Amino acid sequence: MIRVLFFGMLAGKTGCREFSLDMKKPQAPLKEVMEALHARFSGLPRAPYMTAINEEQAEASSVVKDGDEVAIMPPFSGG
Amino acid sequence: MAEAKDRPVRIQTDDFSVEEEVLRLREGSLRVGAVVTFLGTARDFSEGRSIRAIEFEQYSGMALREMTRLKEDALKRFAIIDVRIVHRVSRIAPGGQIVLIAVSAEHRKAAFEACLWCIDTLKKTVPLWKKETTEEGESWVVPHP
Repeated sequence: MIRVLFFGMLAGKTGCREFSLDMKKPQAPLKEVMEALHARFSGLPRAPYMTAINEEQAEASSVVKDGDEVAIMPPFSGG
Repeated sequence: MAEAKDRPVRIQTDDFSVEEEVLRLREGSLRVGAVVTFLGTARDFSEGRSIRAIEFEQYSGMALREMTRLKEDALKRFAIIDVRIVHRVSRIAPGGQIVLIAVSAEHRKAAFEACLWCIDTLKKTVPLWKKETTEEGESWVVPHP
């Protein structure tokens, strides 16, 4: 299982802050994880958002393993 | 055990004292010849709307790690002595303090440049999100490029 976290306005658009996703394989590129999330959450916008795996910024080609934490984050607005 | 406010980089709900943070930098080294601070505060007006309060959401582990990385990068990049970064995440009323970047250096130019670089980089790399409360309700802030 992959632990998926939605932050900021994305939690509102998906209706949840945390979701467990079963990719049914030990690892997958982040791009595949995102496609599975888009299929599950029609309100999840295609862009703009940033992604992280286990608290490190990640790209579409980054590998997500079973047990990882994936964060889907809107553009940052701190400060 | 050291108090939380002894940590030079932190995210907290409580308010902070600019004076105390500057004092820590000055006490840290007698080579300090300049301290530059950036203090971000909450406005009561944004994009034509009156703001009642703002609050922040954070991705807690990553946000603190990115802020710590920001300090380490600034120390490598500029001829400075030390940096302190404090960001609040609680509900903040207009006029309240949000974020402090304080930089000490031997000379002012490096301190000014590092301070500007730190706040500009914080906005791009630290996972924090601002929500504004207005008379119409709450809305997330979309950052400007």
